[in-house]
Amino acid sequence: MISENTKKEPLVRIAKRAELSPKKAALVRFSSIIVALLIGGLLILALGYNPISVYGGIIEGSLLTPTALKATAKIAVPLLGAALAIAPAFRMKFWNCGAEGQITVGAIASTYFALYHVGDLPAPVFFVVTFIVSAIFGGLWGLIPAFFKARWGTNETLFTLMLNYIAIGFVKYLRIGPWMDKGQMFPKVPMFDRAARLPDVFGVHIGWIIVLLLVVFTYIYMTRTKHGYEIAVVGESVSTARYSGMNVAKIIMRTMFISGAVAGIVGWMLALGTNYTLSDTTANGYGFTAIVVAWLAKLNPFVMVLISAFLAVLQKGSNSIQTNFGIPASASEVLTGLILLCMLGSEFFINYRFVFRKKSVGGDD
Amino acid sequence: MKKFLALILALVMVLSFAACGNEETPNGNDDSEVLTNENIKIGFVHVSDPSDMGYTYNHDLGTWKMAENLGISEDQIINKYNIGEDEGCATAIEELVEAGCDIIFATSFGHGDYMTEAAANHPEIQFCHATGAQAAGSGLSNYHNYFTSIYEARYIAGVAAGLKLNELIANGTITEDEAVIGYVAAFYFEEVISGFSAFYLGARSVCPSATMITLKADSWSDPVKEGQIAQSLIDQGAVLISQHSDNTSPATTAEAAGLFHCGYNSDMSEAAPKASIISARADWSIYLTYAVQCVLDGEEIVTDWCEGYAEGANFTSPLNEAVAAPGTAEKLEEVANGIKDGSVHVFAGPWSGYYVWDNTPFECAEGEWVEESETQSAPYFGYIIDGITRLDA
Repeated sequence: MISENTKKEPLVRIAKRAELSPKKAALVRFSSIIVALLIGGLLILALGYNPISVYGGIIEGSLLTPTALKATAKIAVPLLGAALAIAPAFRMKFWNCGAEGQITVGAIASTYFALYHVGDLPAPVFFVVTFIVSAIFGGLWGLIPAFFKARWGTNETLFTLMLNYIAIGFVKYLRIGPWMDKGQMFPKVPMFDRAARLPDVFGVHIGWIIVLLLVVFTYIYMTRTKHGYEIAVVGESVSTARYSGMNVAKIIMRTMFISGAVAGIVGWMLALGTNYTLSDTTANGYGFTAIVVAWLAKLNPFVMVLISAFLAVLQKGSNSIQTNFGIPASASEVLTGLILLCMLGSEFFINYRFVFRKKSVGGDD
Repeated sequence: MKKFLALILALVMVLSFAACGNEETPNGNDDSEVLTNENIKIGFVHVSDPSDMGYTYNHDLGTWKMAENLGISEDQIINKYNIGEDEGCATAIEELVEAGCDIIFATSFGHGDYMTEAAANHPEIQFCHATGAQAAGSGLSNYHNYFTSIYEARYIAGVAAGLKLNELIANGTITEDEAVIGYVAAFYFEEVISGFSAFYLGARSVCPSATMITLKADSWSDPVKEGQIAQSLIDQGAVLISQHSDNTSPATTAEAAGLFHCGYNSDMSEAAPKASIISARADWSIYLTYAVQCVLDGEEIVTDWCEGYAEGANFTSPLNEAVAAPGTAEKLEEVANGIKDGSVHVFAGPWSGYYVWDNTPFECAEGEWVEESETQSAPYFGYIIDGITRLDA
């Protein structure tokens, strides 16, 4: 008979850890960033630059001048918004990879009003109307995959991903077709009238206040409301939810509408607050980077604030080092990727540990 | 609960709109000292970086030549590379303003909207935008456009291409009907159309059976896509490739297929020594030197600047004799002299075609020609000449 103990134990195996103390977990996370910076430093050295001045350049180019700080905030705000958007869906284990498209659809809706109805409404009403319309359209775009999932059990990851391409393809059509700037001889949507641009508060469009409010609302919604509880139950076990009498289909669709609506609001602020026009890159990858933010924050809205600010510093900073040091764009992307990889990797070491085969445990040798 | 949240949100928004006014932030460029070549600061916004070995590389060469001409040191020049034609451009310009630049250049067409806004916000700084056409209409005295009449150099390169096609026909490699040029276009609008039409007319002036097929990359600089498009054109029968895009990948793709190529921006015979015959190039240093000198002298920069082959603002790279057809050098010299003395017109009839935006037919009879770059520096030749097929239009 072959029993368990006659099998040779592997040299290394991976075992689930008991819960790490918060102090230790923080230490692991901190050291992962140090490791990332060290590896990144080697990369920078290999490219022939001084790592310390390049890292200094990241900080300076993202935080130390007023324009840089504002530009960093303009990255952090939509990133945080997009992470908040996908949080309820992810809690429900509905993998919404379609925030990019939902943002784009929200931006399309705002753009329609900014191009054709800007003079018709007083400014505050205009912004409230566009805000609501963007949320509704983003929500409906999110509702499509939820409906199919609830009805026929389709794979939401693929479905939401593919809807991104449709939304962005539609922008292309609008840009080259009906919404093209006729005065420009170049296929692009015109810049919006000044009246259609979100006002600034402390130099950054008003969207940042809305996103910070959303942080609080999302926290309350997910932890203190019946809806939030239902989302968590569906996420843990659909069967349990059904057994306890919840309408799972309704919860999935409702949550995805909300998820898409928040993404639509992000599209609203990107179109009216940042880009002042609509382009294929309006969503700018925020919908995807938001997945990283949401994961690293473990869906905690308050932690998301920190993570999105950190990633924004990295993104803006790596843009500046391309400029100031002439480091190729691809190399600074590698650097950002390394840091993210180490941060995600540290989560592995917090949850698992390596167990090495002990020497002569006795028995079969 | 949800209604309540929505209500609060709407309220907060309305209140904050009412509460905040639009404050203009002053910029730090208030030094009243006299500008000299030792304290002037010059900013550049580039769409890619010099590693493209094409457009940005070539524009950058102009920058350093200008610096040498005027005795300006490297640390007075701030280059922003890889700035897309989106909101990032506004940030890049603001950062240049913040760094104290006295004159700012942007090199790509899509930077135009952001340059227009920045020029309006910073009247004390000069803004110069290459390939654009918004300065005159903006009415701003500190906003300028510049370009070279690159179509002239393209026409000359086209003649070299046509002679190569003739050689291939003569030695039986291809038939007359197979004299197909493939053109990698960045986009379809006047700047690009003007370029490929000039190239085509140059080729047709010596090889009457030449035709052209084009595909667009939807990007100025995308090395992978440019190469793929070149390959696709080759697969559809092109035997000679030319391009309006920033990278050398069309040249190397043509070489890998054992075919021929005419380049743009840089001497691409270094990247593809067995394929690249000649390249049309611009010498940006002429304008850059002029514009910076104007700022130093406190003089106005012209709103639309466009100089051409005769002034040396555009030229062709040395002919790659190993690839070019015999007798090309002599013919090119004759054509170049004709362009210089005005006897050769690039967009001369007879040709027929249609206007790209509304398909209106257009006829240019023998002895007539369409004038380019007279009313503005940016190209405005927008006719698709019969013989050119846009495969993706």
